[in-house]
Amino acid sequence: MKKVVLYIIMIVLALVSLFPFYILLFVALSPSTVSMSAGNFLMTEIDWSNLLHAWQRSKMEIALKNSLIITAGSLILIVLFSAGAGYVFARVNTWYNKFIFNFILFSLFIPGIINTVPLYSLLRKIGGINTHWAMICLIATGALPFSIFLYMNFIKKLSREIEESAIIDGCSEFGAFWRISFPLLLPITSTVIILNAIAAWNNYGQAVFFLQSQEMHTVPLAISRFVQSYGADYTMMGASALIGLIPVTIVYLSFQRFFVSGLSAGAVKG
Amino acid sequence: MTGILRKLHLYMAVPAILLFSVFFVLPLAQGINISLTDWTGTRPAYNYVGFQNFIDFFQDDRAFHALKITLIFGLISPVLLNLFGLIYALLMDLKLVGRGLVRTIIYLPVIISPLIMGYIFLIMLNSNGGAIPSILNGVGLSSLYKDWLASPHDAIWVIIIVNLFQFVGGPMIIYLAGLQSVPSEVKEAASIDGANYFQTLWHVTMPLLIPAIRINVITNIIGSLGVFDVIVSLTNGGPGYWTESLSMYIYRVSFEGQTGYATAVGVILFVVVLIPVAGALSLLKKADYDS
Repeated sequence: MKKVVLYIIMIVLALVSLFPFYILLFVALSPSTVSMSAGNFLMTEIDWSNLLHAWQRSKMEIALKNSLIITAGSLILIVLFSAGAGYVFARVNTWYNKFIFNFILFSLFIPGIINTVPLYSLLRKIGGINTHWAMICLIATGALPFSIFLYMNFIKKLSREIEESAIIDGCSEFGAFWRISFPLLLPITSTVIILNAIAAWNNYGQAVFFLQSQEMHTVPLAISRFVQSYGADYTMMGASALIGLIPVTIVYLSFQRFFVSGLSAGAVKG
Repeated sequence: MTGILRKLHLYMAVPAILLFSVFFVLPLAQGINISLTDWTGTRPAYNYVGFQNFIDFFQDDRAFHALKITLIFGLISPVLLNLFGLIYALLMDLKLVGRGLVRTIIYLPVIISPLIMGYIFLIMLNSNGGAIPSILNGVGLSSLYKDWLASPHDAIWVIIIVNLFQFVGGPMIIYLAGLQSVPSEVKEAASIDGANYFQTLWHVTMPLLIPAIRINVITNIIGSLGVFDVIVSLTNGGPGYWTESLSMYIYRVSFEGQTGYATAVGVILFVVVLIPVAGALSLLKKADYDS
């Protein structure tokens, strides 16, 4: 009996979490003549052409291309740089390493808005406004503190004897890390990828500032234009949001297998 | 042997430190400098005005209200996120069939942009046939419904609930990770000694969850005090300025040519974030020693 109640609670929680996705599907795929104003939210007709219209009107191919480049580029920087730095901070316990690590971690408390205006001037000087590379660097920088923290905690629990014996056997220092330790980091790398792929894909606050040209629009900018500049067109907003959800959902579902175990070793064991 | 490891790999931290210095430390130093000026953001010339921007902040009613809204949201949200996150995690930790799938589903709202989640709730709350008034109507509770987002006092609660709904998966997954690292022998030993589920939870599991609580509380406080996207899409700060948060206020005044002032408010926000985090950390440290 107790079990039945628990199962019912679990199913209700799942349905509640899925409900907004259903509303998104409804808004995105219902013919524009159908609205929820009838108080009727059962999908009876599906109009796939909404997706095509949203694709064309939001220039989705440009937005998807930009978002993919920026997300993939920043993920590569985040994983390589944070793993490297986390490795050093985990293995080499000098006072200056501790200081740098704590300083980087402390930066989590500093609101990004203090930096935004100076960053704008800086990027204008070095030609970084409306470029992929500058956006990649900005997103990667924002992700570094927490990612380094996760890698450091995780690497602390890996045995160092294997690396040491690899070095004795003639492996280079970098080779010991890259060939021996890095593959063992898969759980925490999955966690870092999930957390940061979501953040990079949905990045709105910085994209608004630094990617103002039409040709550089990312997916969130393309979607929000349907609500902001054209008056609220929720059908088009929903349809483009649906398209924009597909890549990030794929990333989430492919890496989520290691999500809990990665966090378990990287975040919650002090 | 440590000698080898000490020399080695140091250069592997260099790319991260370099990136961090150029795109964080350098602009931060400039930002703190700007907060002491009357810079408009566009004109090249500016004057140092000392702490005038900070004084202005405390004399501006709108700014003070934004601070109040930020504190209400930033302190209530983390409490709710952690409470529900922990309850969800405890449920998912029971050996129920299908819990992996449900866990994946509950985390799913996290991957949508908060901006879009806000729009979806705007559609669901629409008085003209939105899903929520329709459901209330269907179960005969239509008297419960009102246009919450138009009400100065209720709108902030809608924002808190939507944010809770969307992000409860985050703390849940971290608590689950924490629960995984509690050895089952410890729990079994407690139950052999006659402890019931809640006694085991309180005396055995919770103390071992302190690292998870710590990371959840810190990241939730930081995230909540910087709340921006979800307010933009749900109320855009309205009605009036009633739900304007400090980050929204900063964003708006910096576009109104008050860059120096906006940056100073950013520095104030930093202090606002630091105080509750420091408080939570010292409380948790105490709990750590007690256990």
